[in-house]
Amino acid sequence: MVVLKSVSPPTDGVRHEQAETSAILDGKGLGCGTLYVAETRLSWFDGTGMGFSLEYPTIGLHAISRDLGTYPQEHLYVMVNAKLNGEENAEDEEDEDASDDDGGAGDDEEGVISEIRFVPSDKAALEPMFSAMCECQALHPDPDDEDSENDFEGEEYDVEEAEHGRGDIPSFYTCEEGLSSLNSEGEATLSRLEGMLARSVAQQFHMAGVRTDNTGDGLCGPCVGVWSDGLCGPCVGV
Amino acid sequence: MSTCPSDSRPTLRTIVENSLVVLLQGLHGQVTTVDLRDESTARGRVVNVDAYMNVRLADVLFRDRRGRVSRLEDLFITGRNVRYVHIPDNLDITDTIEKQLGKISRMRNYETKNPQSQPKTCKICT
Repeated sequence: MVVLKSVSPPTDGVRHEQAETSAILDGKGLGCGTLYVAETRLSWFDGTGMGFSLEYPTIGLHAISRDLGTYPQEHLYVMVNAKLNGEENAEDEEDEDASDDDGGAGDDEEGVISEIRFVPSDKAALEPMFSAMCECQALHPDPDDEDSENDFEGEEYDVEEAEHGRGDIPSFYTCEEGLSSLNSEGEATLSRLEGMLARSVAQQFHMAGVRTDNTGDGLCGPCVGVWSDGLCGPCVGV
Repeated sequence: MSTCPSDSRPTLRTIVENSLVVLLQGLHGQVTTVDLRDESTARGRVVNVDAYMNVRLADVLFRDRRGRVSRLEDLFITGRNVRYVHIPDNLDITDTIEKQLGKISRMRNYETKNPQSQPKTCKICT
């Protein structure tokens, strides 16, 4: 998966591009180049056009590190659940994968891990680099996750049904018919509460690092992105 | 509607309402520890947990599997790599789940009553 070879940078779906970025792979400096955070993969290329790509499903975590005691430069840290060697060709990598415990499914007891540090010359770029990676990572949910494949049975949870069952909540109107029972004070209260709810919903579901300029067709409020089949990223609701 | 019309994948809201991810979403703003599959741990403030259990933490103390400790300002853990999320002792789990489900449910009711004022929804999340 990581082969230092001459490839061209991605052109589609590049959420962030950061030039003058050094890459250090498992402690070994690869030089200075450009990082491309694209929706399909994470890529880095040095000045000669040599580089590598990472597939998001192999990325275990990423983080902004400003702890100069641990590493002398502020950087973007990426942990990859695979062994990356620049010199190997594709065949060697397949053999290595077969002998790894780190398969696609199941726990990786031995846990082959690589660490990559991307050090941009512009430290202010760390946050947009991080955010772009969050967005792209969310576009690649775990295909092996059984939970998300299950058919979920049962009705949708209705909070008002649940609350009405308790009796310690004062009765309130939830339907159009009930609205006509409100006096003017009640109507004013309702408007105020609805306004508060709208504002709190907008704030609550603003996920840091999410593009909120819904330029694309079909994006939810808190969505991280849109998959090709029109589904949101991991939003909870609107 | 718990399944999408176009394929058998459930909506993300269905995933959240039907799994304990909803509990984790009730942890927003709290400090907790996440154990990763590779035995490393991350302790920090929960910024966000999404339907796939991707966890974002801030101001993190990260202990890697070899025991080396470092501070990370912002950390995103892929859901697949989460082994445990520690629930703070002072958290009422049932209450948190009910409150979280309530928020989702109220939003759905709100959307139904106010279709113009809501932000755009995706084709499935309605």
